[in-house]
Amino acid sequence: MDLVNLAVAATPSFIASSVEFVEALTIVLAVGTTRGWRAPLVGAALAALTLAVIVAVIGVALVTVVPRHVLQIVVGVLLLLFGLRWLRKAILRYAGIVALHDEDLIYQREVAELRAQGLKKNEWDWVGTLISYKSVLLEGLEVAFIVIAFGAGGAAAMSAAVWGAIAAGVVVIGLGVALKQPLTQVPENTMKFGVGAMLTTFGVFWSAEGLGTEWPGDALSLFGILGVILAISWASVRMLNAMHPSGAQVGARNV
Amino acid sequence: MSKALKAIWENVYGLLVDDGSLALGALAAVAIAWLFAAIATDAFEQAGGPLLLVLISALVLANLYTAGRRISRAR
Repeated sequence: MDLVNLAVAATPSFIASSVEFVEALTIVLAVGTTRGWRAPLVGAALAALTLAVIVAVIGVALVTVVPRHVLQIVVGVLLLLFGLRWLRKAILRYAGIVALHDEDLIYQREVAELRAQGLKKNEWDWVGTLISYKSVLLEGLEVAFIVIAFGAGGAAAMSAAVWGAIAAGVVVIGLGVALKQPLTQVPENTMKFGVGAMLTTFGVFWSAEGLGTEWPGDALSLFGILGVILAISWASVRMLNAMHPSGAQVGARNV
Repeated sequence: MSKALKAIWENVYGLLVDDGSLALGALAAVAIAWLFAAIATDAFEQAGGPLLLVLISALVLANLYTAGRRISRAR
């Protein structure tokens, strides 16, 4: 596999996975600092184990059973749905329609809720374990989905995507352990915008490949598709700014 | 058990779909591109991909325009 194809699979996987790891880290940190570290770490480890089983079962089934062009179209459509969801939300945030994602606010809210629930000293902290398990599993499922999607090009692409995600996990967890606070300095909203554009780009690419279309320049055409998606996103932000010059700040679920 | 399955389904669905019309539009765009690729003549058979890109671009713009209008009406 050449360097371009390797970078095409590993870089978006690294960036997209970083965003998910940051979100999971915020919850685990909130649980750990308010209720002690044993329960959330056990929850996170159990979630990682569950994820490994899910990825092994689904990943192996996808690669060995499903024909390549069917796999391309299935992954392409799922990526398209997943990417458009991210992109839409990111555009709405950039246009000031929906409030920006605030990791510090989420952390403070989670800490307040956990403190309000109280803690029994002589019992195992099932609340802490479950909250940690659920957040790591949900964010991890998104990482697994991202890895499978970006690695759909073959074994080498899959390997690059896996390493991209592992690197993201090591960097984010390492920073979390070192700083012991949520990574609020990470430009999460910008990263989400980029990831939404990249996921949509890959979704268009793989869906069309699955339909039997060959893109000019093969993987290099991804840059052209990304350029179009970014241009449309920019035009959408401008359009929404023109419609709502002072923003709207409505809840994400109400748009 | 059914509660847990329902929660898993809601999470997986929520992972992919935030706005139903956008998701349906994306599926329709893929279906149109597939139909086009199936019936196009030799000269246009590789145009399915660019067509899909155009449809998705139009879909994003139309969806966000509708969202903007909806907020205007609600205020």
